[in-house]
Amino acid sequence: MGSRKPKAAIIVAYLFVPMALYVFSVFIPLLTSVFYSFFEWKGGPNKTFVGLENYIMLLYDKEFWQAFQHNIYLVVLCVIGQVGIAFVLVMVMNSKGTKFKDMHRTFGFFPSTISHVAIGFIWTMIYDSRRGLLNWCLTAVGLGDKTQVWLNNPKLVMTLVAIPLIWQYIGYYMLILLSATSSIDNQILESAELDGVNGFQKAVYIVMPMIKNTILICLVLCVAGNMKVFDNIFVMTKGGPGNASMVTALYGYIVSFKQQNMGYGSAISVGIFVLGILLVGSIQLLVKLFSKEGIGNEEKCC
Amino acid sequence: MKKSAVNHIISLILNTCMILFSLTCIYPIIWILSSSLKVKREFNADIISLPENPTLINFQKIITNPDYHILASLGNSFLTTSISVFFIALFGFIVGYLLARVRFRGNKMIGILLLMGMLIPIHSLLVPIYVVFNRTGLSNHWYTLIFPYIAFGLPIAVFLVQGYVKEISIELEEAAAIDGCGFSRTMFQIIMPICRPVMIAIAIIEAFNCWNEFPFALVLLKDARLHTVPLAMTQFTGQFSSDYPQIMAAMLITMAPIVILYFAFNKLIIKGMVAGAVKG
Amino acid sequence: MKKWNAIIGILTGIAILAGSFTGCGTPESNAQNIKNSQATESVAEETKSTEDTKSTVETAEKTAMSTATMEKLAKSSYEGELTIMHDSTTEEAQAYGAAEGLRTAIKNWEQSNPKITLNQTVLANDDYKTQIATQAAAGDLPDIFLLQGMNTKTWAQQGLILDLTSYVQESPFYQAYNKAYFTPFTYSGKIYGLPALTGTTCTVLVYDKAAWKKAGFEQFPSTWEEVKKADEYFKQNGYKETIAFGNKDQWQANSCFLSTIGDRFTGAEWFQSLIDGSGAKFSDKEFVDALTFTQDIFKSGIFNDDFNSITNEEAREYYISGSVPAFIGGDWDINYLQSVLKETNKELYENTGFAVLPQPNGASKSENSLNIGLGYSLAINSKLKENPDKLAAALNFIHYATGPDYANYVGTNYALQGLTKVEDIDLSKFDSYVKQYYKYTYVDTKPCEIYDSYISSAVWDVLNKNMQSMLNGDATPQDVAQKTQKTYEDDYLNSQRKG
Repeated sequence: MGSRKPKAAIIVAYLFVPMALYVFSVFIPLLTSVFYSFFEWKGGPNKTFVGLENYIMLLYDKEFWQAFQHNIYLVVLCVIGQVGIAFVLVMVMNSKGTKFKDMHRTFGFFPSTISHVAIGFIWTMIYDSRRGLLNWCLTAVGLGDKTQVWLNNPKLVMTLVAIPLIWQYIGYYMLILLSATSSIDNQILESAELDGVNGFQKAVYIVMPMIKNTILICLVLCVAGNMKVFDNIFVMTKGGPGNASMVTALYGYIVSFKQQNMGYGSAISVGIFVLGILLVGSIQLLVKLFSKEGIGNEEKCC
Repeated sequence: MKKSAVNHIISLILNTCMILFSLTCIYPIIWILSSSLKVKREFNADIISLPENPTLINFQKIITNPDYHILASLGNSFLTTSISVFFIALFGFIVGYLLARVRFRGNKMIGILLLMGMLIPIHSLLVPIYVVFNRTGLSNHWYTLIFPYIAFGLPIAVFLVQGYVKEISIELEEAAAIDGCGFSRTMFQIIMPICRPVMIAIAIIEAFNCWNEFPFALVLLKDARLHTVPLAMTQFTGQFSSDYPQIMAAMLITMAPIVILYFAFNKLIIKGMVAGAVKG
Repeated sequence: MKKWNAIIGILTGIAILAGSFTGCGTPESNAQNIKNSQATESVAEETKSTEDTKSTVETAEKTAMSTATMEKLAKSSYEGELTIMHDSTTEEAQAYGAAEGLRTAIKNWEQSNPKITLNQTVLANDDYKTQIATQAAAGDLPDIFLLQGMNTKTWAQQGLILDLTSYVQESPFYQAYNKAYFTPFTYSGKIYGLPALTGTTCTVLVYDKAAWKKAGFEQFPSTWEEVKKADEYFKQNGYKETIAFGNKDQWQANSCFLSTIGDRFTGAEWFQSLIDGSGAKFSDKEFVDALTFTQDIFKSGIFNDDFNSITNEEAREYYISGSVPAFIGGDWDINYLQSVLKETNKELYENTGFAVLPQPNGASKSENSLNIGLGYSLAINSKLKENPDKLAAALNFIHYATGPDYANYVGTNYALQGLTKVEDIDLSKFDSYVKQYYKYTYVDTKPCEIYDSYISSAVWDVLNKNMQSMLNGDATPQDVAQKTQKTYEDDYLNSQRKG
């Protein structure tokens, strides 16, 4: 911690504006949402207080829990796919032999600049069974019998909607991880290379411990992002076929806006929120346990 | 000798992979561009091939549409995005630095509060935020969107800065303190420049987030003159329209300005990101 | 700016010329189509000088909407703002005559009422639904807005919308109203909206008469067995399937198919009983039979294999491209098909006909039924009660926008019928496509209800979602019926008792 602790007044002065803004725009609406969740409310001025009824309903709501499983599946795929691949790519980009680094950096981030709706749209076209790129490629390489109506396959659909998500966010995490690795002293890496450390060892034993905070944040971002994933799936499948690609945020939206059951919809949002916190909490715990060993290593090497 | 040959091959493979990855990232924009130059009929016959007779009619239809105020919407988006990004970066830095370095009562609390903000599905806040903003008379102004944009951008910014600062050696600040540098000066003049890479990353991420944001703009703005670009573009999606080339032209117009900016400042951004200060 | 225009003009000119060599369109029809679309007026000007004048004459000016009936309506002395929200975007108006009519009506009304500022919020349909639900929840609806049939009950119970019964009865056009259109907007005997836009069917079977003739059918078959027989023929002759359908958005299987097929099995009384809550159940045998039939027919292979993952609009393109001899869609497809086919495939345009869905085996009720209704109505925020002047202005508007002027306008320009009946629509100026369609919707068929104009959105959402799985073979009709029934009891009957 800082050697000279500033006065409380200074801290308050610095924190006041951002936190007031945050509380006003995020926290008050959130509390309002929690408040709504105790009512049966079809939208409009009349609400009926039902206590915990909505939450009890939520506990037994098979559709919600099925959707939550889909979220978990996405989280797992995306932690590996988004953060994992991004980390590997960053390591490759930081190695000496890699050419066109600037181009990769610029292009890699590109998918993150496009709105989710546009991404969903592009990938729907790729998966399209008659005119899409995927079936076209399969036919071109002589795998014509493998072509199918991709997004109508309940077993595959979650994986298929995960691919665009992974693809879109690799560049995003690359950007964050690159900014973190950019400040690692090159001498450390170079001297490690002289000691005959290979790329894998370098990544795991040197770079990872040094940017572990940033990695942890990436994991949290990734979990949070996939807990509330909405637009891509809405555009690509609307949660279909049936409920096969339904995720919790989409389910909450459908209940609130399509079915106009705002009370229960709010309870679903609170549910998503609580589950998200539990997930993030457990990840932080895991990382802490894991990184204790990591810190030990770091000390040894430095 | 042998080892260097192996290295050479590995490096070749890695380079090829990277180039392939970059190409898939850029392919969509080429596809959208080429599709937007087709007419509906040509697109529907073949969605992959390049346009045989490129036409700008889709763009022209959008730009000349009397219901679509292109300049106004661009202006609104620029204003909202730039102000929001500026404050997200600034506030994110301040709060992130304080959380990382200063132990005060409520430190953990603020962290948790911010974490919560990242976990709320946006659509579940539409009704409450509409109610809150309406009650306070804050909806439907040019500055309306800045509030939620800053607030929703803040958590990511704070955590990124916090994580980054934690990895900077404390010695720097201790030295500054010995030199008689006050808290605020240390924060802004010593730490902030070091944080430039992460702040640039934040600015880029948030600029695109704010630019593309749709749901809040939809519920908080009623006046067509205040519409941001994505919202104004909804004029071109009818309920039963299937004019994909036109939709893509609209997408292109939506993302063009900010993408152009990104590429224009790309050199600068990369320079800023790579040239981080040394940390221990 | 001038230079820019010129460049675009030249480029489009090149494109049009080039287009004429690709073989799928004549220069004349190309130019004609461009002139048809409103947003390209400047292009039309560019091309006018170079193209022959014949096509200009062909696309005769639209008959303007009169404002004559405004005289008959009660005026108000209101001066100031009036907010209105609707979903007739320019894009929508280009493909859909009823929406274009509404936009024109709004423009006319604004001109005749210069002291009132009409603040419009126009959003694409999906966004419109989100926004209006948000504002309803916040109790902050616009003064005038489009109300969906299935929201009537909830919003009326909440006191959000104004009871218009007496105003409707006092309306100078009351005699001319097609009263059946009011039912979706009626709750416990009170009327809450003036049905807007035009009477539309959600079930239109479009088919290529020439192709079916070759398959041995002078008309579209009247049983599904014959359709299956035709399917064998079509598949041997280069077609991939017989009927194109798109159900990605999940509501199409309900609105464009089940709603009409269901009526064939259950009859109208069953559905009325559901609406009234007087005993009918989704799990009743007749309705389960309708679901079973739907599942079987979609499994039989006469539809495209990707029907569950493409949209209605994409399925429509299958028909336009000539790769299927028939397509099931809705009223909203008709204008689009017309303008595109005219331009790209005159032959198919002239051979296109409309048919009611064939009668399923085992269905005992009406053979000729077709669901039809007005899905949206113009409703007024109940808060306007407190401001009689403003209310009078709002009433004036909704009566105008649904009255004879509007009806005549969409009648003469698009051969569509609105709330106000127009007895003598002059069909002579329309070609056979439009005439056939007019007869199909308003004359030759027996109307039945569009399911999702009634009951509640939650019920239909559950039915639609589960039906999509059922059509894939992943759920049984009994299952779907039971789940729907449960939502119906929990969501609809329950709140009816409370209300």
